[in-house]
Formats: sequence, C-alpha cells, structure tokens
Amino acid sequence: MTAVNHGRGTGTWPKLTLRPALLVPVAAVGFAALVGLALIAAIGVPVSGAIAAFVDGTFGSLYVIAASINRSTAFALVGFGFVLANRASLTNVGGEGQIAVGGIAATAVALYGHVAALPLGLSFILPMLAAVAAGALWGALAAVLKVKSGTNEVISTLLLSFIGVWLLYWCVQSPALLRKPMTSSATLPESLEIPDETKLPLLTGDYSFPLHVGLPLTLVIAVVVAVLLSKTVLGFRLRAVGLNPVAAHRAGISYARTVVFALATAGALGGLAGALMLLGEQYTLKDGFSSGYGFDGLVAGLLSRGSIPGVIAASLLFGFMRSGGINMEMAAAVPTALVVVIQGLIVITLAGAALVIERWERS
Amino acid sequence: MTDPTSDSARIAAEPLLSLNAITKRFGSFTALSDVSLDLRPGEIHCILGENGAGKSTLCNLIFGVHRPDGGSMRYRGAPFQPSGPADSLAQGIAMVHQHFSLVGDMSVVDNVLLGRARGVLDRKACAAQLDRLAGEYGLPLDPLARIEDLSVGERQRVEIVKCLIRDPSLFVLDEPTAVLLPDEIAALLDVCRRVAASGRAVVLVTHKLAEIKQVADRVTVLRAGRVVATSDNPAAEIDALVRAMIQGSVEALDESTASMLGFEPVRHVDHGPAAVQPKAEVLQIDGLTVTDHQGVTRLDNFTLTVDRGEIVGVAGVEGNGQSELTAVLAGMMAPTQGRIYLGDQDLTGRSPREITAAGVGIVPEDRHAVGCVTGMSLAENIYLNRLDEFTRFGFLRRAALERDAAAMMQRFDVRARGPGAPFSSLSGGNQQKAVLAREITLPNLACLVAAQPTRGLDVGAVAAVYGHIRAACSRGVAILLVSSELDELLTVADRIVVLYRGQLMGACAADPSRREVIGAMMAGQPL
Repeated sequence: MTAVNHGRGTGTWPKLTLRPALLVPVAAVGFAALVGLALIAAIGVPVSGAIAAFVDGTFGSLYVIAASINRSTAFALVGFGFVLANRASLTNVGGEGQIAVGGIAATAVALYGHVAALPLGLSFILPMLAAVAAGALWGALAAVLKVKSGTNEVISTLLLSFIGVWLLYWCVQSPALLRKPMTSSATLPESLEIPDETKLPLLTGDYSFPLHVGLPLTLVIAVVVAVLLSKTVLGFRLRAVGLNPVAAHRAGISYARTVVFALATAGALGGLAGALMLLGEQYTLKDGFSSGYGFDGLVAGLLSRGSIPGVIAASLLFGFMRSGGINMEMAAAVPTALVVVIQGLIVITLAGAALVIERWERS
Repeated sequence: MTDPTSDSARIAAEPLLSLNAITKRFGSFTALSDVSLDLRPGEIHCILGENGAGKSTLCNLIFGVHRPDGGSMRYRGAPFQPSGPADSLAQGIAMVHQHFSLVGDMSVVDNVLLGRARGVLDRKACAAQLDRLAGEYGLPLDPLARIEDLSVGERQRVEIVKCLIRDPSLFVLDEPTAVLLPDEIAALLDVCRRVAASGRAVVLVTHKLAEIKQVADRVTVLRAGRVVATSDNPAAEIDALVRAMIQGSVEALDESTASMLGFEPVRHVDHGPAAVQPKAEVLQIDGLTVTDHQGVTRLDNFTLTVDRGEIVGVAGVEGNGQSELTAVLAGMMAPTQGRIYLGDQDLTGRSPREITAAGVGIVPEDRHAVGCVTGMSLAENIYLNRLDEFTRFGFLRRAALERDAAAMMQRFDVRARGPGAPFSSLSGGNQQKAVLAREITLPNLACLVAAQPTRGLDVGAVAAVYGHIRAACSRGVAILLVSSELDELLTVADRIVVLYRGQLMGACAADPSRREVIGAMMAGQPL
C-alpha cells in the first residue's frame, strides 16, 4: 500500500487549487464514464436510456439524493478510519467486518436493550455506542495480534472481516440470537425491525427526503479526525510510529499503545458506519448487511491520499455512483456486473490521476 | 606516500572524465555552481569539502543519479549524459555510496549478484570471486553471511566489493573510510592505489586530511557548491586546502579536532577539571551479558563504571559488542544477565522512556534507524522525546515547539532552512548535531552515551560535537563514548576500555603512547 501518501507528512490540509489537482480527477472520471458507456453500447443496451437511468438514480429525486448521501456517510466513516490508521503505516482492510459487528451490536441493543423508552435520544445513541464499542473491539483484536506476535494487520483485519460477516449470518439464522421468531417456514432469516424510537431521526422529518442525523455526525467526526491528525500529540505519535517505529520507541512513544489506538479507532468508525446503516436505513439486520460498504470505504480512504476532504469527495462519488448503478440495473437493464466494472475503472483511473498529479507537483 | 616521480608517468594527460562548468539546482537551492574538473586515468582524485559543500551531489551527477542543470560532461572523449546509475555502471563507473544499498535479508553473495546475475545464479563462482577480491584487497567477508548479521563496517566492505567485482574504470567512493578501522582504512587506501595503478581513475570523497596526505594525487576543494581550491601537490599544500575548505585559519581549529583529523600528531586534550567532587560513580554496568536469538553471546560479563565528569571511551573493532552495549543502555534491548545502575537507581530492563526520564542521553550509532524520524521536521525531531512539554489539552503547541527549536538550532549551530524544514533535507552533520542537541539538553542529564558520534561528519561538525560533549562533561555529566576511531578516543577520552568479542579486554589511560597496546587489545590480546 505504498501508494498512500500521508499528506506529505506535514499533517496539513492540502491546498485545493483549481489546476491539475481538481481537473485531473474530473477528467479521469469522465474518461472512465466514456469507457463504461462504450461497454454498455457494446452489449446492446441503448446508451441514452442508460444515461437517463443513471441520472435519474443519482439526482432524479430528493429521495435518491438523500439515500446517496446517507450511503456516503458510511463510506466516509470507514475511509476516515483507514486514513487515521494509515498515518501510523497501518492498513486496515477490515471495514466490512467492523460494519458487520457494529450492525449486530446496534441491532441487539435496539431490539433487546430496553432502550426504546429512554429520553434525550439515548434510544438511538446507546445502540450507536454499542456498535462503536464492537467495532473498536474488532479493530483492537488485530492490533493486539500485531503487537504480541507481529501478525500483519492486512491479513488479520481481512480475516476478522470474514469472521464478522459470518458471525452476522449466524446471528440472523439462529432464533436463539437475533433471528425474528419463526411463525412459518416462510419467515426470512433476518431480525425483527427495530423500534421506531431507535431509528435515527430525519433531519427534515419528511420521508421523501430521508436524510438522517448521520450526516451532521459524520461531518463533526471529519473535523475531529482532521484536527486529531494535524494538531494533536496523538496525531504526532501516529505519524512518528508510522514513519520510524524504532526511533519513536527510543523517544519514548509506545508502539503498542499507538497501534492499538489506531486500529481500535478505525474499527470504532467502521462500527459506527454499521450503526448508521442499520439505524438510519435498513432497520432490520439481514444476511449481506454490510453490502461491500467496508471495501468502498477502504477505497475512498486509499484514493484520498491521506486527506479528510479527499475521503469526503471520494465517498460522495461512490455513494451517488451506487445509486445510479442500481437504477441503471433496474430501469435500463444494465447488468450489475457491468456497473461494478465501471466502478472499478473509475477507481483505477483516479489512482492513475493521483500519480499524474504527484509527478506534476514534483516537476 | 606515493613517489611523485612515478606519478607523472602513471597519470595520463588526457582526462577520462571531465566536467565543464557544471551547475545543479534543487528548487531554489544551488548545490553546485560552475564546477569544472578533470579526472585522469591512473590518479586518485580527492574531493574535499564540508558537509553540504556539494560533494555528494557531484558524485551523484557523475554516477547518473542526478542530471546537471547547466554545463557538460565528457567521458572517454565523448559527451556523457548518463540516463541513470545503470547507464553509468554499464559504462564502467562504479560508486560506493555513503548510505548502503543492501538487501538486509539476503546473503553477501546474493547482494553482490543482485543486478548482475542473468539466468541461473552461480553463487559458487561469485563466492570464489569474492574470496579472490578479499585476499587481493584485504576485505575479508563471509560470502554466506546475512547482511543483517553484519556490522556497519562489514556492510561497507560488501558495498566496496560490489563495485570492485565490476572492474570499473572510474571508481567513486563517497566518504568510504568513515566506518572503517585504522587497518581497514589503510587496506582501502591500498586498494585505491592499486586500482589507480592499473590505469583507472579513483575519486575519493573525504574530509580526513591524513588520507589526502597518504594517497591523493590531486585534490579539488568544494565550498558551498563552488570549487575554491585545487592542488596537484596536496601533501605539501594541505594547510591551504583546509583553509579553503573551512574558510578560516587552521590555528582557529579546536585542538582536539585538529589532532583527531590528523592535522597535528594525536595527543590527549584535557577537557578541564570537572566542577564536581571527583570519584562519584554515575553509570555502573555490572556483569552485562547479551545472548542473541541464535544463542551467540554478543556481550559477555561486561563491567564498567563511569564517574561524574569523566569521559570513558569504548574502543574496539566494530561488531565486537558495541552495538549491543549501546542498545541495552538505551533500553532498546534486554540484557540476558547483569545490571545497570545510574547512581543508586536500577535501570536494568527499563523502557527507553524511563531511561530518558532518569537522565540518560543516548546518541545512537545508527542515526537514521534509531536517532530520528527523517520524514518529520527538524523541530519535531529535536523534541521527539519531550513532546509533553509542548502539549496543552492533548493539542501540540506547534508555535512554541518551533520557537524553542529555533533557539536550539542557534545554540547548537544546526543549519537548516528553519525549524519546520524536513529532517531529511539536513546534511548528516546537522542531523547529528540535532540528535546530540536533543539528548544533551535533557533537563536532568546525568549520563550521556554517545556511539560513533562523529561518523561521517565534517571538520566543523566534529569540533562542535566534541565541544558539546566536553561542556557536558565539565558540568559533571558522565560520558561513555563508543567509537571505532581510536584517534578520537585517544584525543577526547580520559580512559579507554577495549571490547573484543563482547568481552572487556582491558582498560588504560587515553595516552597516545599506548596506541600499540590498545591496538593489540582490539585484536584480541589481553593486556
């Protein structure tokens, strides 16, 4: 993961100049979109219909806009965690599992924690905190493995992801855990719907524009993470350990504590993403709950090259792309596989664009 | 010394490589300006200059790492514009860099084969070649040893052998003797002479005047990126060359620095009486033993005390337990047996943080790996171990940090663009001064352990390092100076102990007349 740049190590926010830094990514997305359209044309789907379906799915209604932004918050939270851990040269690829355990914890507390009657928003805050704790635990497990026995966190977070995802499957399959009571053989393997009090409040109160409190929360967290990385001693320690763990150790900075902090925080943010998805959007826990959001968030973190605004930009892009892709599939019969291919193309061209910008800036 | 009459016959008149008005800029910084020089077949051409004078940049231009912004080069009579190091290598230019480029997890022979081998690896043939070179040039190496298990000095030998095996026509060595033993230096200078005698050009970048006196046919002196002096008879004109290099008079040179550089005969320089009552033991090392993970005893029942205001030198061939000794004292390695006391405080097995808090400053042998975080700023590195002083509610007070660092830069003459400059942009000497500044300004400093503190530094920086070490000493700090430069220890230390295969071979006063005795101990003969 050497392509990840730590904001040139200074921890400051990048200067957004209009020149290559912005134009190149736009051109990259445009190029990928053109290739995508060519592929769509090649399989015989009318291009104009596909474009119309995509636009309709992304900006066609207030509803899809809100849904896209809600989805983006989950990507962004995982992306922030990735950037934070990456400051310490740690690569957290376990977002998927952290989302899953977050979803399990939030569901369990919302359904069986007797929180529905609590005042002051505690009815949804407590399930969120449970998700944060579960995600932090999932991240900390990988950290402890790394500190105690040197296990590479790429391996451990990825494998813990599988465990988390299958744990969720077990939870929704087993009536002794979170599966809703089986009244007939047709009862789906999923949890009960969470009580209304535990659902995240909508910003407008209007279900046709279902933007929930996850958005302001994510923006606050963005500021907190950016400040933590650039202004605090914690951020300094992350950077020192990331750049030279031996010298950091000699200077009295604890490697173990820093690694545990970094991965646990990344995991906590993943868990919170899971809580937003469950409490704000899905309301019932089902198999396939995490839907690859952990990997989209990871890619957002990678593409951001260590910048928090970059994570937000990439997350919005992916959030809207997903909505458009879903609608292209439903309305224009473009196969899902092709939508995924186009997404991959965009990631690759954006990564290539990052390289171009880097060379540009160097010369 | 070489015979001047044979020199003129040996050195060809036609240059092998000529640089014509070369200029090299990095951003707004001009590293080299209008530099012209000739390298002739058969000569040893020394490049002399302080750190930051542009010596390494010059080497990198010749080796194709950088391209000049102005001027031109000619090699073997034709225009020379190497596309990169591989191109230079292919054309017969080999270079030993200041920093090693070895794969730590591979054996010596594999490192030599790296980038040379085609198809099937013929380790046996390569090992035989290594043995031949080792015998020929006095650079003994175990071809199957892993690089990671070698000392810094041995790694340097691998780098040198890597070049020699290519049979280059131009051999560039960037500060090659900084890590070698007196015997090894002599052997290397001998290598240089032999390579030159066979009609090749040797470029030796150095700041050690003794070496110039011994082998240089011609000298070019750089200062601030310009050629400020040249000499075809360096042995006779050495004073003028040094003056040109440091732009000051030789008389102004600190006594011990002059002595250490071979400028004057080596003699002990007293650091003045300590301002404290004598015979107060500060650092007490008691029966320290380190056995590594392979079961090899690296440090064997080592016992030593250092008093207040005393400088004790640890001499020895590199790889005889010095690294382990400093690592254990720094808290980076746990001893297998034995104890370390500071006053009556037991520091055995304490963490680096606790050791710093107790008042032990450590200048590590490997500055880049242990001493600093090159990706961070100068200010951040100067206060790496004292961040708590610049913290309010978890926030780093960056302005205060940079202000205090600026004061430190002034006090320790650390030259950089500013406290916010990336540490990697500093020259080696300035990096070392910054590390020393950090460790020597610990508020409760009682003991300073300095390992190879002047390695690779130029005259000015060496003098500065000695000055600060002596000043600390006269404040009553106990100082343990680990060095493979015997001259350095004879000049600066009060007492010298010798490490051989992890054991204390003996101790004696730092008296230059005892040099033979100490040398014998370094070779394993007890007193």
